[in-house]
Amino acid sequence: MENKSPLSPHIQIYRWHISSLVSISHRITGIINIVAITLICILTSFLIFGETNYELIKFFLKSIIGKFVVLGLVWSFSFQILSEIRHLIMDMGYGYELQTTRISGLIVIFGSFILTILLYITGKSLV
Amino acid sequence: MNIVTKKWVFLKISSLILIPLMIWFIINFISIYDQSYSEVVRFFTNPINKLLFSFFIIFAYFFSALSISEVFEDYITDHTIKNVANRLLFVSAIVIPLLTIILILNLNL
Repeated sequence: MENKSPLSPHIQIYRWHISSLVSISHRITGIINIVAITLICILTSFLIFGETNYELIKFFLKSIIGKFVVLGLVWSFSFQILSEIRHLIMDMGYGYELQTTRISGLIVIFGSFILTILLYITGKSLV
Repeated sequence: MNIVTKKWVFLKISSLILIPLMIWFIINFISIYDQSYSEVVRFFTNPINKLLFSFFIIFAYFFSALSISEVFEDYITDHTIKNVANRLLFVSAIVIPLLTIILILNLNL
C-alpha cells in the first residue's frame, strides 16, 4: 500500500521563523559535520602510509581555500554545539514561548560566530 | 519503553556526551591541522588523544546515524528505499569508526 502520510517539515508551506532557520541549519550542519568527520577519518588513516601522502593534505590545508574550509568547519561545529544545547534545554521543557524561541534562535546564530572565534583562538594558543 | 522512545533517549544521551568531545576535538584540530607530519602523528599516538578521538568518532557516528535516520523518516516515503538507506547508514556508522580506530592503534611515531 502506498504511504500517503505527509512529509515533514513543510518548509514550502509554513512562514519562515528564526526557529525554522535554526532547525534546517542544524540538519545541514549535522550532515556537513559527519561528512567532515568521515574525511578526517580518511586523512587520519592516511597517516599510516607515511609522510609523502600527508604533505599533499598539508599543502591543501595551508592554502587560503584550506584555511577557509577549516574555519567553515569550526563554525559548523560551533553551530551544532549551541543548537544541540538549545535542543537539550527545550527537551527539559523550557523555552517554548514564541519570544524565547526567537531569542534562543538568535543566540545560536550569532553565538556560533563568537564561539568560532573563541575556539579558533583557543586552538591556536595550544600550538 | 518502545523503540521510538529508546531511540530518542539514546539520541539525547549521545548528544550530551558529544558536546564536550566536539569542543575537545575542534580545539585540537585547529592546533594540529597545519602542523608537520611528526607533530600530527605525535598527537594521534598519545594514549589520551587516541582514546578521546576514538570516543569522539564512535559517538559522532552513533549520533549522526540516529539523526540522519530521522531525516530519512521525514523525507523518504518509499519503505524499501528507506530501509536500504537506513541499513547503509548503520553499517557505515560501524565500519568507518572501527577501521579508523584499528588504523590509529597501529600508528607509531
